Amino acid sequence: MAKFNVLQHELVPEHHVVPKSEEDKVLKELDIAKDLLPKISRSDPAIKALEEIHGPLENGTIIKIVRKSPTMGYSVYYRVITSEVFK
Amino acid sequence: MPILLFKDTKKNMEVLKKKAPCKYAVDDQITESVKEAYVTSDKKNFIYRIRLSGVEDFKDTPDVIRKNKGDMKSILVVESCDSIDPVPLSQFRKKGKRISEFADFIIAELPTVKMVEKPTYVDSLSQDVKDIIELAAKKKLDLPVSIAEKLIRYKKEMTPAKFDELMNRIGEDLKKKFIDPHEAVGIIAAQSIGEPGTQMTMRTFHFAGVREMNVTLGLPRLIEIVDARRIPSTPSMTVYLKPEFEEDEEAVMKVVKELENTTILDVASIVTDIQQMTLTIRPEPARMKERLVNQQDLIDALSKMKGITLMSQENSEITVKPQQESYKRLYQVQEQLKTTTIKGIPGIKRAIARVEPSTKKWIIYTQGSNLRDVLEVDEVDANRTYTNDIIEISSILGIEAARNAIFNEALRTLSEQGLEVDQRHLMLVADMMSFGGSIRAVGRQGISGRKSSVLARAAFEITTKHLLRAGLLGEVDPLTGVAENIIVGQPITLGTGAVNLVYKPASKGQ
Repeated sequence: MAKFNVLQHELVPEHHVVPKSEEDKVLKELDIAKDLLPKISRSDPAIKALEEIHGPLENGTIIKIVRKSPTMGYSVYYRVITSEVFK
Repeated sequence: MPILLFKDTKKNMEVLKKKAPCKYAVDDQITESVKEAYVTSDKKNFIYRIRLSGVEDFKDTPDVIRKNKGDMKSILVVESCDSIDPVPLSQFRKKGKRISEFADFIIAELPTVKMVEKPTYVDSLSQDVKDIIELAAKKKLDLPVSIAEKLIRYKKEMTPAKFDELMNRIGEDLKKKFIDPHEAVGIIAAQSIGEPGTQMTMRTFHFAGVREMNVTLGLPRLIEIVDARRIPSTPSMTVYLKPEFEEDEEAVMKVVKELENTTILDVASIVTDIQQMTLTIRPEPARMKERLVNQQDLIDALSKMKGITLMSQENSEITVKPQQESYKRLYQVQEQLKTTTIKGIPGIKRAIARVEPSTKKWIIYTQGSNLRDVLEVDEVDANRTYTNDIIEISSILGIEAARNAIFNEALRTLSEQGLEVDQRHLMLVADMMSFGGSIRAVGRQGISGRKSSVLARAAFEITTKHLLRAGLLGEVDPLTGVAENIIVGQPITLGTGAVNLVYKPASKGQ
């Protein structure tokens, strides 16, 4: 219940939920195990905003992040949702 | 059963109280099953309760009381309206349930924006650019957008065969530019940031061109960024206003006053009378005027405080007395009074508006930071406003925003000193710091102190602690990193050292 949309903020890049069916494809492309991907906390504001759109997201869901990059134009990054985040 | 929660003026509610039962027109579409409503007049507490005997569609009849002059949609048939003990918005519960669980309709001070994803950046690219990228993809080439944009012109001028050749050449060139597999990017980044760092001014408290405003810059700021301090030494915000207010000086000044946190000590002096056990607050008219505070604001702020009694008011001087008569309490109350907020947002010490000469648009700079509350201010453009407090960004806008903030801040700090560092080094630092889902510092407490290898940690700092701990717990070091292999005298796992070659003899038949 926020008055502003976190996802619309300039600093926040695009976050997309990777459907379960495409997860394997992504992991194969990156040649990496899922738990080695960068993490994103379940309580991250961007994830909470995504949950309002897509419904609850489970741990282990892969989030595709499309960043604007000054060198590449845009670059794609993946994070996996975890509840255990180093504080 | 749904309950209606909304915000309304005190004045309207007083009218309702007198005239109930009556009809009250509101500007929202309301479902008919609503039987109960709670009203807040400020942003914090519900103070009225309304019982409804029904909801009707809006019809303009003379007996209807209108909420305001605008478009009305529904009529509430009010049975009764009464004041209740203030219920804080955040704690509003009904039969043990929180607001979100039962109220299907909330218009109180919780106007929710619909969450929508950002339009995908890829879609915003022109068809020409997409074509070229697709063409490159066929050649197994990941072409950056910036290059694709430059190629549009050549694609039109050249024959397809020639263009194909150009693409091939670009492909070769790009491959040369790639970093080699198993290259030690971290150490290169560390050097590339470290060397210019030696040329930074050691201590600059530079005036950023704004009066009475200073921001940590230079080396101290860079250290602050990579250390991921909880609170930077000079937290500050850059507040943008929504486009409609951006050029309106009056509105800007109003926001400035709204943001600036005014405490009692800012507008008045506090005198302690030990004999009478009282505290007298002497407002200073000039300062009150400057901060746009009036006597009533002061009294309102005081009456919200707990544990004190308002005694008397003479010539604008207010006397208060602690409810408990002890010197200790008197002292406590005095300290408490000093920091009591009259208005403004906690944490924002000063706010200064400055007009951008090129665009004639106003931007507000603040000393002190409170992103959460500032983004809730109506006039503020929540999509552009930011702070230099990276930890705050990570908790309010998320880890990805914090990663971008680290990158932006580091880049800005370096370029302000006239130092040019390749952006990719800073990106690496920002990515490493945000890798685990929260911001980690570079150093003992963060990235370096949490390496998996015992020997690498021991080589970094506090050797004995790590070795002792590893011995106690029986830790195993697989020797996969660089530092640990140097220690044991093996080839390091970089470059060719990271690859294992296996000879596969040709079988007999071949």
